Amino acid sequence: MSSAGVDSILFQEPPSPPIVAIKDASAQSVAGQRERYAPTAAASEIFRGPRRTPRKSLIVVLSENHVVSPDLVTDSLLGEGVDEVVDVILACAGPPLGITALQRRVRDLQILLAPAGTSTEDLRELAMSQASGDIVTLLSGSPAIA
Amino acid sequence: MTLGEREISTSGDYALTSRTLPLSVIVSVRDAGATLREVLLAVRASDLRTDSYEIIVVDDASSDGSVAIAARYADTVVKLTGRASGPGYARNRGVELARGDVVAFVEGDVAVRPDTLSRMLATLAENPDVDAVSASRDATSGARNFISQYWNLLLRFGEQHHPGNCAQFAPGCGAIRRRVFISAGMYDEWRFSTACLESVELGERLLGAGHGALLSSELKVTHLKEWNIGLVCQEVWGRSRLLARSLGYSRMSAVAPSEVVFTLSRALIPAGALLGTLMLAAAFVPPPHVRAEVALALVVLVMTNLPLHRFYVTARGFRFAAMSAPVHIFVQTVTATALCTGWVLRYLIGDASPDATTQAYSEVGLEIWPPIRRRPR
Repeated sequence: MSSAGVDSILFQEPPSPPIVAIKDASAQSVAGQRERYAPTAAASEIFRGPRRTPRKSLIVVLSENHVVSPDLVTDSLLGEGVDEVVDVILACAGPPLGITALQRRVRDLQILLAPAGTSTEDLRELAMSQASGDIVTLLSGSPAIA
Repeated sequence: MTLGEREISTSGDYALTSRTLPLSVIVSVRDAGATLREVLLAVRASDLRTDSYEIIVVDDASSDGSVAIAARYADTVVKLTGRASGPGYARNRGVELARGDVVAFVEGDVAVRPDTLSRMLATLAENPDVDAVSASRDATSGARNFISQYWNLLLRFGEQHHPGNCAQFAPGCGAIRRRVFISAGMYDEWRFSTACLESVELGERLLGAGHGALLSSELKVTHLKEWNIGLVCQEVWGRSRLLARSLGYSRMSAVAPSEVVFTLSRALIPAGALLGTLMLAAAFVPPPHVRAEVALALVVLVMTNLPLHRFYVTARGFRFAAMSAPVHIFVQTVTATALCTGWVLRYLIGDASPDATTQAYSEVGLEIWPPIRRRPR
């Protein structure tokens, strides 16, 4: 879980993010993977009882050899409101490129690792199955410049 | 850029914190898994710049995996849980998140053409006196079965014969200036908890406030839903009953003549009048040929429906028109019964309103998510 105003933690050690690795995506259907990685107990807890405000999630999708600017993710979080709590999920096809800065800025960044070659649409669907928010915003990265 | 993604420019050209865009496309869905993919791909195939619009899908408590499909192509997905609250409620939630100066509502079973949305934007830009513009349906139905085609052409008949400035806003796809939508009080989510006449009611409010609402016969969309006779009767029953109970038949027939209830019921009046006269006459003079009199009333009914039958012949041929005639009379009978039921309910119970629990929650101002249905302002 990350708070939007997080610039103050820029120089702290990045916390260890929860990483969910998905292997052999090509051999499994998206639905099968969704069952395998069912929402955690913490996520289920969220749905107990009525809430006053909607929970929000931000999904950042990084296809193979794509990158994301941490500034833009932070801007997006700030756009949701300073007091809003937003779950951030980074869904990557293959090893993510240059996400250290993002990890520094976003506390408890949840990283979803899928095999290289997983399509953007499949990544989005997989990430959505992990998102606990009532309002889910989806962003995609841009190709890395060699 | 891949379909369904909004590319984040590393140079920051597209600022995510920017609160405005030219267009927000709001797709409200309820168990639309069979058609949603095609609907969203059609929006993505629009001839608009990809950074000039956003897609917001509002899922009204679906149980068929619509959310997963929405995630593949949308920019924002809103998940409403619990009981379904209707498309008006869902669209209002979408508008609350929208960043577009113009919001376009697309139903979860309606596929736009590549130029539909851009032409809507152009129409609004070129005509300052027009605040809302709606597309009409094309002659093709996504589903090939007879009833789907019958229903699609029936609605198309109404739209073709009564285009222009009218209260028929966004029957499947319509765009409106966001500030006008909000100032008009948004959709009435209080009375309309199912897909029904919420768009006509909003259109009437827009016209009443002096805004222009255009139903364009040139802008086209394809409706993909597969209909059967049960669904058609259910739809007609719901629309007719609510029209008579909540909105007022005469008032709405003047501002939204293209509504399907009027297409169905207009032709009933002469036939009903004839049948009533014959029955009244029979009370004094025993009729020698009752069947002949009923047959005469049916002939009158077919004659009053002649423009529609001619439309069917032109669109699908004589055989299709002949097959549709008895179906049409049956649907008209359902319409008449529902209108009478609506009038009776109006006088016995009053206007439609939500259940007691919703009213009580609203009364105490309970704030929860998803929000309690709101009374129109």
